[in-house]
Amino acid sequence: MADFFETVHEGRPITDIEIIDFHAHLGPYYNMHVPDADAPAMIRNMDRCGIDKAVVSATLSFDTDIVLGNDMTIQALAAFPGRMYGACAVSGNYPEISLDELARMMANPAVVMVKVHPWSTRCKMNDRRMKRIYDFAAERGLFILVHTWLDGDPYGSQDLFAAVAADYPPIKWLMGHSGGPYGSVRAVEIAQKLDNVFLDLTLSMCPAQQVEYFVREVGADRVLFGTDNPFIDPRPQIGRVALARISDEDKVKIFGGNVRRHVRFV
Amino acid sequence: MAKVPFFDCNTSVGRAGYPHLTDNQDAAGLEREMEIAGIEEALVYHVAAREGHPPLGNALLEKEIAGHTSLYPVWVLLPHNTGEMPHPDDLIGELRQKNVKAVRLYPGRAHHGFTLADWCAGGMLDVLDAARMPLLLDIEIVSWEDVFALLNKYQRLPVVVSNCSYRHNRYLYPLWERFDNLYVETCRFLGAGTIEDVVRRFGAGRLLFGSNMPQYTGTAIVARITYADISREDKEAIASGNLKRLLEEF
Repeated sequence: MADFFETVHEGRPITDIEIIDFHAHLGPYYNMHVPDADAPAMIRNMDRCGIDKAVVSATLSFDTDIVLGNDMTIQALAAFPGRMYGACAVSGNYPEISLDELARMMANPAVVMVKVHPWSTRCKMNDRRMKRIYDFAAERGLFILVHTWLDGDPYGSQDLFAAVAADYPPIKWLMGHSGGPYGSVRAVEIAQKLDNVFLDLTLSMCPAQQVEYFVREVGADRVLFGTDNPFIDPRPQIGRVALARISDEDKVKIFGGNVRRHVRFV
Repeated sequence: MAKVPFFDCNTSVGRAGYPHLTDNQDAAGLEREMEIAGIEEALVYHVAAREGHPPLGNALLEKEIAGHTSLYPVWVLLPHNTGEMPHPDDLIGELRQKNVKAVRLYPGRAHHGFTLADWCAGGMLDVLDAARMPLLLDIEIVSWEDVFALLNKYQRLPVVVSNCSYRHNRYLYPLWERFDNLYVETCRFLGAGTIEDVVRRFGAGRLLFGSNMPQYTGTAIVARITYADISREDKEAIASGNLKRLLEEF
């Protein structure tokens, strides 16, 4: 295996291990200018650093229309088979439509996860309208990626996340952003208690030694690589894992090995 | 190919009251984080100068980084009128005497309790402008209107906006079209393709490498630069060259 420090500092893509971005998005967003927001630009930036696959949910689906957003996702999967995979966006504000979307999207074998954004939809994780969505995921043992934050989020706080994750053991819960820049300690507490919780590394404000802390306290098997691309450029997230002071074996797990054990990519 | 050298304009020492995760409060801890990421040099301020009292923190900084030859001091300033800081007539001489490389300001009632307006901070800003002393401002604390007013009045002062996230391009680009002395520190400047877009539109001279270590890791922003789709020369400018040029101009 190539030396990670040299590879990153020479700006060469990491090509000798599989890298799966399990938390990515797609498309422009209302309150920011993103130069490389479309699927071809995302693929270009993935290639630049060595990301093989990305599981995407269109940003349009959070604050606007889950159906339009899921349509965008499906188009990207069709354009980049084997590189882009889908997360079906759902919203408790539209439970019937969400169930229809789950049926439609999950029929596509390239859709491998469910995406919930409590903050953007202003629908609490434990809202009763979410129940049938969770039931659908539980019956199939799916991953659900939830945007979580420690402070100031009454819809997707880490405490709400923990309570709902405990209620649905068959679901694999990916704690999006692991509660944000101040959420690491609570994230570890939750993951130590609940075996069906996975920690997400996606952040713009990346705490020093967070990767090492997660691996030490929870184990590398439940830490998953994600980027938030294109909200956040994917390249910095490569550096966080590649240069972390953990074993190469753990880096391989985090970059893609863990996801491979749980998800079938066609 | 030789490694791109990194010179970080945004690091700190000192114990934060509300840390992100780690307790790397001393110069040795900061240097460990720099080594992990591959960062050779850094400008550093003391957290106690931001969260405690600027004169106290600046004095603590001098002691903490003494003997650490890769770390260079940044002072947090206040207007002089209360007697807590040197008079503008003496300020630049004292900064030079203490080898201070840049300064930071935290205006606003919720922070250090002053305004950047001319009637309050004008004397201090006038001499900083004349000396071309780099000034770092946290965009989570000052407004873009404040930044515009500052740039509109001071044409020589290098204004470095830190903590500028991926949500700020729509404020930044019109300012960059008008002002050459506006710089962005990179620790949160992470929108997909933004660095390439800025280099294409405005050149590589507008960006200064910064990490916010040891609160943040330096590993993320280092990789953003090394993997950027820009020339080797532009990477070196952002990673260290632009900052070195500004420090030489002071």
